[in-house]
Amino acid sequence: MDPEHPGKDPSGAEPSGPDALLDEALAGLSREIRSRVAGTDVEGIDWFGLFDELRERTRMLGMRERSGETDEFGMDPELLRRARPLFQALCESYFRVEVSGLGAVPEGPVLFVANRSGLLPYDGLVLAHIVAEARGEEARPRPLVADWLITLPFAQPTLTRLGAVRACRENAERLLRSGRSVAAFPEGLKGAGKVFRDRYRLQRFGRGGVVRLGLETGLPIVPVAIVGAEEAHPVLFKVESLARAVGLPFVPVTPTFPWLGPLGALPLPARWSIRFGDPVDVGALGAGMTDDELLVSRLNERLRATIQAMVDTGRRARSGVFR
Amino acid sequence: MPTRAPRRIAITGLRTFLGGRLAERLSSIGPDVHVLGLDLRKPWGLPSSVAFHEIDLTHPTADATLADLLRKEEIEAVVHLAFRREPTADIDADHELETVGSLHLFAACQAAGVRRVVLGSTTMVYGAWPDNPNYLTEDHPLRGHPHAHNVANRVEVEALAADFARRNPDRRVTVLRPCWIMGPTHMDAVVRYFSRSVVPTLLGHDPLLQFVHEDDCLRAFERAVRGPRSGTFNVVGRDVLPLSTILRTAGKRTLPVPAPLLYRLRYYPSHAQTGDRPEGFYDYLRYLWVADGSRGFEVLGEPRYSTREAWMSFVSSRALRQYR
Repeated sequence: MDPEHPGKDPSGAEPSGPDALLDEALAGLSREIRSRVAGTDVEGIDWFGLFDELRERTRMLGMRERSGETDEFGMDPELLRRARPLFQALCESYFRVEVSGLGAVPEGPVLFVANRSGLLPYDGLVLAHIVAEARGEEARPRPLVADWLITLPFAQPTLTRLGAVRACRENAERLLRSGRSVAAFPEGLKGAGKVFRDRYRLQRFGRGGVVRLGLETGLPIVPVAIVGAEEAHPVLFKVESLARAVGLPFVPVTPTFPWLGPLGALPLPARWSIRFGDPVDVGALGAGMTDDELLVSRLNERLRATIQAMVDTGRRARSGVFR
Repeated sequence: MPTRAPRRIAITGLRTFLGGRLAERLSSIGPDVHVLGLDLRKPWGLPSSVAFHEIDLTHPTADATLADLLRKEEIEAVVHLAFRREPTADIDADHELETVGSLHLFAACQAAGVRRVVLGSTTMVYGAWPDNPNYLTEDHPLRGHPHAHNVANRVEVEALAADFARRNPDRRVTVLRPCWIMGPTHMDAVVRYFSRSVVPTLLGHDPLLQFVHEDDCLRAFERAVRGPRSGTFNVVGRDVLPLSTILRTAGKRTLPVPAPLLYRLRYYPSHAQTGDRPEGFYDYLRYLWVADGSRGFEVLGEPRYSTREAWMSFVSSRALRQYR
């Protein structure tokens, strides 16, 4: 809800954000009219100036669906507040997300590591929403998103305002060091581009960036298995010849995508389950271990195997994809 | 190494916004500070406390002339600001002034034994690239932009400054990289872009931007000239704002243009006069190139204006002028 402004409005009527803005704009307008009318006869009024003023002031109202300030990575709390019911419906009615193991996640900044699927980052946004609902807005993990997606026209402004951040070491480190959680999807493009027959087969975890980050910051890594997201966007096959023209790394063909146009970007209503594993405290090994390439790759592979095992358990536990 | 603040200061590019205002600011410190302004022509309304000397940095013997002058005037610090306020269509002339002029200046400083050199650069030298991290630190490589010739010149000048610092480890070289400057009086190509009533933007792109207020920028330059520390610093305001929010707070109308279309218009009217393709400017409204100012805040002082306040200061001054 909007914060109350006691004492500001003696009549006590509608102190909420947009209305207050409207009141302010109208009051300013009437002041403007009075100042222009005073001392002149009706013919002398600058009607064009007045019209311009009205236009300027109404245009200011375009600010009401966004906050005037964003955080340092461009997250817009006002948009998140407005999008909350949508995410709520998406999680509860559409994907019917089952969450388990969230209690074991430690307080404070953590590094969530999850399996990735689908071209659009529904998995990251849903994960962020679920953690934010359970632990409060300060605990909201920021999903790390690949370059090609965070610079994609139309996706870029929305994703940034919903809290997504370009996946790179500098950004993740900055977020973690300022006490915020991060959700990483180390499969990267390989994960996003999995075709349907490869679903839930975790791809290589990059070059161990996540493990290195855990070692350097000393923060716990929480493995997360997201089951269901990989059926929400089943990629039947990929068209690579078209990719350059569209500006995507590949053009996915799903049962809905090119056929239904933009509607095809909507996910299928698969039943999701998100399980949080036990935190892995690699920080105990010490920051100096990042130079030990073998250790990093061993930890990296172990992390991948853990998430793979959790994904397999989750798939066995469910009764069907959509039920 | 004496740490006394320099008292005899030369400023190149006196007719630029930063040059002129910095000369006024430094000369008003006190009677013991002597400021020598250098430019092609004497600017109108120059305060009497600022001495002026005419010099053409692009002249083939400018380095020797300048070295003689610096020696004769016993200059202790040089602030180099002789750069185009905005790119012109004559790319070769811009290169002569910005790069070759800087080459002459560094040669003269070397010969005249100037203790301290402050170079005015810009955060645009990092370049707007899709793989930039959200915050660029001073150690990030300077990638510039292939279609912005003035940015390319500045990258070359930074290399000259780094070279000068390496050859003269006993002298202090400070490079300041301000982001886009906003304020009631500053004017350049960027400010002109933002002061249009209909602002063209790229359809589907809404990057985070940052501004620094002109007063904060000038204060940073003053501290860099007079203060004890040297190095490379980003000069930025606090916070960032998305382009769309910036334009909406000012109540401006936008004209979103698809990037492939805009980039095909090679002679887009307002860009023919810069000599560059539209990418040279519009990529900076497409990708992230926000700089991390924390090192500068620590050494040169906290800015008094945030990005939003700098922008509002510009907008309110403009509105007053528009409506009288």
